[in-house]
Amino acid sequence: MNKKKLATVWLGGCSGCHMSLLDIDERILDVAKLADIVKSPVVDGKDFPEVDIALVEGSVTSDEHLAELLHIRKNTKTLIAFGDCAAMTNVTGMRNYFDLKDVFETSYVNSISNDQEGEVPDNPYLLRLHDKVLPLQECVPVDFVIPGCPPNADTIFYVLFEFLNDRTPNLSEAKKLKYG
Amino acid sequence: MMALVTIYIDDKKIIANSEKTILEVARENNIEILTMCHLKGLTDVGACRLCMVELEGSPKLFSACTTKVAENMIVTTNSERIKRYQRITTELFFAERNHICAVCVSNGACELQNLGYKVGMEAIRYPHLFPQCDVDTSHPLYVMDQNRCISCSRCIRACAEVEGAYNWDMMGRGYQIRVISDFNTPWGESTTCTSCGKCLQACPTGALWAKSIVQGQQDKHPEFITDLMERRKMKL
Repeated sequence: MNKKKLATVWLGGCSGCHMSLLDIDERILDVAKLADIVKSPVVDGKDFPEVDIALVEGSVTSDEHLAELLHIRKNTKTLIAFGDCAAMTNVTGMRNYFDLKDVFETSYVNSISNDQEGEVPDNPYLLRLHDKVLPLQECVPVDFVIPGCPPNADTIFYVLFEFLNDRTPNLSEAKKLKYG
Repeated sequence: MMALVTIYIDDKKIIANSEKTILEVARENNIEILTMCHLKGLTDVGACRLCMVELEGSPKLFSACTTKVAENMIVTTNSERIKRYQRITTELFFAERNHICAVCVSNGACELQNLGYKVGMEAIRYPHLFPQCDVDTSHPLYVMDQNRCISCSRCIRACAEVEGAYNWDMMGRGYQIRVISDFNTPWGESTTCTSCGKCLQACPTGALWAKSIVQGQQDKHPEFITDLMERRKMKL
């Protein structure tokens, strides 16, 4: 049997979803029997290759994220929005209620620890934040969504295992829906 | 005058009191109809549009909480069309304000969250509005967070009909609608609020909460409101 290729990606999120992924514990061995993890914050490898399944954590906050997501979409058969940030922007999107300029100044200039001496970084090599943080499905078509902040390890394993066995999971039927 | 009528809900034949609404009769017969703005004991207003049902002979949908039963009424509560609308309504609740479950006091004990699970909402297909909303912390005991309000008006009705204080009201229209204290003044300066906390118990989300709790600690009892109203009916 051909092993599937699995990737996990960390965009605008806190990595909590990846922590929860690690919480599948020894079941990672069941995943490893069916798939190779070819790209992930927890494995080596620079470029995002062609994969069967990609778990994408976090929302799209910048030009860099958007370019990355478009590349992932092009190279992925099943793109899974992984967690509340990817699905509905969640905490990452809380800056959407404010002007980006105010957000920058609050963080880099007016923050008490800056003693009013900080400045907004503008190095051309830095990524450019978008005005609004967007969930994945507003940027590219998404094949499946696992909500939750973070999703339960059981839910993550269930979804992975179903897809790795060429079945389509149903979180609602499996009573595994969770937000927050 | 009370009369008995025969109605059919999802092919189930039911003899019902004609003074009752479709929702009341359905609940008495263990037929589930989703609601957010309904709270037993308070006047029904048909605000949330989740309890929409089909009535045979009409292309329109009717809100079960404000439509009384009538002889030979044939009601459908679970058609594909109804389910589709329930899902749309739920998603629009989430897209309209800023419902960040992860940082909410009501996380895990929220009627809106539970509604999402019931309709099987795994993602929101509509663009979020991300409105900038006020959080009123001026009251010594309680907080009103507009980010989490779904404009169901249960707090307004609990305040007016149960406590009789008339502190809460509604201002504006459409997506700009806001629950206000007195004449849109800070809650802490209210001359009508008795700080009884009934609005908190009536609120289905984390929009109204007590300062004494933190994230995920909310423990609301909207049934208190129902119990109070039931007890008031008793003749001593």
